[in-house]
Amino acid sequence: MVKYRKRLFAATAAIALATTLAACGGGSDSDGSSNPGSSDPGADSKAGGTLYYYIYAPYEHVDPQRTYVGVELTNFRRTIYRSLVAFPISEDPEVANTPVPDLATDTGTKNEDATQWSFTIKDGVKWEDGQPITCEDFKYGASRVFATDVITGGPNYILSYLDVPTDKSTGLPIYTGPYNSTPEGQAAFDKAITCDGNTITYKFNKPWPDFGLAVASLSMMDPYRKDKDKGAKSNYQMFSNGPYRIEGSMWNKNKGATFVRNENYDASTDSTDIRMALPDKIEFNVGQTTETIYDQLIQDSGDAQYAVTSQRVPPAYYSQIVGDAEARSVLVPSPYVDYLVPNFRRLTEPAVREALKVATNAEGWITAGGGEKAYAPAESIVNPAVIGYQDNPAFSGPQAGDPEAAKKLLEDAGVQMPYPIKFTYPQSDTADKQAAALKETWDQAGFDVTLDPLGDTYYDVVQQPDKTSDVMWAGWGSDWPSAITVTPPLFDSRPNLTANSDGQDYGAYKSDEFNALVDEAANAADVDAQTAALQKADEVLGKDVAYIPLEIAQFFFLHGSKVTGYVNTPASSMYPDLGPIGVEQ
Amino acid sequence: MFAYVVRRLFIGVILLIVMSLVTFLLFFLMPQDPARVACGKNCSIAQIKQTEKALGYDKPALTQWTDFLQGVVVGREYPEDKSLREKAPELISDCAAPCLGYSRVNQVTVSEEIKEAFPVSASLAVLAFIMWIVGGILFGVIAAVTKGTVVDRGIVAISLVFYAFPTFFIGLFLLKFIAIKWGWVDVPSYTTIAEGGVGGWLSNLFLPALTLALFFMAGYVRMTRAFVLESMTEDYIRTARAKGLKRGPVLFKHTMRAALTPLVTMAGLDFAGLLGGAIITESVFNFNGLGKLAVDANVSYDLPTLIGLVVLLGSFVIVANIIVDVLYAVIDPRVRVG
Repeated sequence: MVKYRKRLFAATAAIALATTLAACGGGSDSDGSSNPGSSDPGADSKAGGTLYYYIYAPYEHVDPQRTYVGVELTNFRRTIYRSLVAFPISEDPEVANTPVPDLATDTGTKNEDATQWSFTIKDGVKWEDGQPITCEDFKYGASRVFATDVITGGPNYILSYLDVPTDKSTGLPIYTGPYNSTPEGQAAFDKAITCDGNTITYKFNKPWPDFGLAVASLSMMDPYRKDKDKGAKSNYQMFSNGPYRIEGSMWNKNKGATFVRNENYDASTDSTDIRMALPDKIEFNVGQTTETIYDQLIQDSGDAQYAVTSQRVPPAYYSQIVGDAEARSVLVPSPYVDYLVPNFRRLTEPAVREALKVATNAEGWITAGGGEKAYAPAESIVNPAVIGYQDNPAFSGPQAGDPEAAKKLLEDAGVQMPYPIKFTYPQSDTADKQAAALKETWDQAGFDVTLDPLGDTYYDVVQQPDKTSDVMWAGWGSDWPSAITVTPPLFDSRPNLTANSDGQDYGAYKSDEFNALVDEAANAADVDAQTAALQKADEVLGKDVAYIPLEIAQFFFLHGSKVTGYVNTPASSMYPDLGPIGVEQ
Repeated sequence: MFAYVVRRLFIGVILLIVMSLVTFLLFFLMPQDPARVACGKNCSIAQIKQTEKALGYDKPALTQWTDFLQGVVVGREYPEDKSLREKAPELISDCAAPCLGYSRVNQVTVSEEIKEAFPVSASLAVLAFIMWIVGGILFGVIAAVTKGTVVDRGIVAISLVFYAFPTFFIGLFLLKFIAIKWGWVDVPSYTTIAEGGVGGWLSNLFLPALTLALFFMAGYVRMTRAFVLESMTEDYIRTARAKGLKRGPVLFKHTMRAALTPLVTMAGLDFAGLLGGAIITESVFNFNGLGKLAVDANVSYDLPTLIGLVVLLGSFVIVANIIVDVLYAVIDPRVRVG
């Protein structure tokens, strides 16, 4: 195991080195501009020019209270929407996961049990029309999250944290948002978030020690101007308080938008640790296919020389990423982990779940899925970029699967063999090959595997309590760099399991020991205590084989040759970080 | 004739109503829950219910369908919430009759979506139509008059190749080589005449229109060749030649008139179908026409947009059919309608 861990460390270091070298190759040498991948990304880059950002899938929301996708959050956080605190530009996870002040004067003060947080808003910060950003704007922004029949799709943690009573008939807070709440609801909300001059105070019904991390990661607590709010009609409206503003006022879902400089942005209220705002213009171009995007980036001519993308290199194009293109490519681990979920309603025998784990050929899955440019090995459901990450001892060691050892476990358990199991996964050509790789060693171990590929109905099926799947595929990424947004939402049976749905606890895992540790983490007054409880909770999950980690998806990107300061950071969810990125003039 | 057209139109309207009902029922028979998808991660059952309300899917399917029909006749407002209308009127969207619905996904009325997408599809259809009609007939006639020669065989073989290749392949090929690798034209991006002038409009439409045209052209070459060859064997053509008429006038005055009549009918129907959007071509070239709108609506479970498009595209086909039936009677006096 020690040897394996050393090998894994060496492999990780090699990937990191290769990534750094690849990124270094992307730097320009014509005008002494940036050296991406250095410890100070963008330091030598120059302001000016137009950066192009190629996007394939349309963004569903750009409203800050409705945005919930990592790449969208980071793109807007660096350009249009500022918040109380933000993550700095850094490739070092420890630095990148430590919030720094943005619109607030500091990173906030909490009371002893972390149930109350206060922030003071900086003087001189303004909206794009020159009006000052006030405490009331922050309060109004948070209030919109409560309008769950209007402001949909966004992160809603504040509904369960903010100290607003719950309406027992609906199971939702009695405050229903700024549009049509009752006076009682409004009064409860006004008590939970208070403004005293420029100081805003949030009162929670339970400790929220990592509130700062949540604020820096998600835009649900961002300020919003009441006079600009048109409810759901504001979904594609952008009203800036950052270094750029949108040309026009609306993001075009199918075309994107052009960001130009915001004349009312005062760089002295900001930090270059968060955003350097180098390009004069950023053109977001939505809708080209991934193949067309990469044909242009590989060709590296015209606008594509100044372009970055959030699309990964398709496996069919791997062979074309050579020479100059290879020097412009980066391979970095994503914040996402894919895993298998045994169904506890069907695989009730612990030895059977253990045998399934032992026989799982995660290496075969990775190879069939495209190899090291597509995936890296995982030893926990928690991503290594998350604060307090540790390998789960249950999953350390070789990951090629050991059918012989698994067979012995099944035989010792005295179960009928071959043991029939059904593996359910979202169908794709690649997933079919990966599933076949898993089936091979599972069958060798004494299981009789039926593959059950599903289309668009996947999540609707695996959430059903009466599903007939024995093991299912799933994937997850943290909402902020804390395991509190990973294991509790996925395995705490209390909010997940209902008569009609298994929620996100697809395997119907139920453990008092795990839930007690979740409660301990939820009631912890500081991040260290919370992390310690969550580390123990992950060990319980490993011991029970509540999940089997498969891999960490890799991000393999290419950018244009005239892009400077290119870097992918934990703060940008490992997508291109627009904080330091510029273009050659 | 008038009574016939009115009767066909009446049947057309009934057909559209039935089509909208079937689409509603099919949508709600899907195993997916659009509210769960729209609600995002970490949603409780109560929050999913709220999202269902926000999307307008909380009422029974039949009620939603009758509301839709009512909206077509008298218009609607979204959301239909009287208390919200009083407290926050700026949140309400009015949709005047004939209201085809309101897309909660895109936050606009379906009519506005169609108004934005239709010119893209129509531009593409018109240019592609001109290309394939001119090219198809020209090469078809050349193949017919050079029957059995290398030219004929070459034209037939090339048309077969284009007919066999899927549209997405031709589109991606043209895009990759002509626009990106060789840089002969810019990567197309739909530009209106107001934005880019006629030149900009045409140059951006060229590759996608060519993609569509090559496919249709291949079929029209083969059909034109067959119809012309068939006409050339008719007795009256032989008679004309025997009377000493030159080859050119016989071909253009007598042969082609007879040969092209069925092509005109087909071209009308193909053009009408294309007005409803070229799904693959629009997706490959990222042209936001009706075809791409339909694909996106399908992906995001956007029922109002789907219904609106079904009704619109159904109308195109029904109207085109009526026009073709009437044209038959006009072109061939032996045909009587009614």
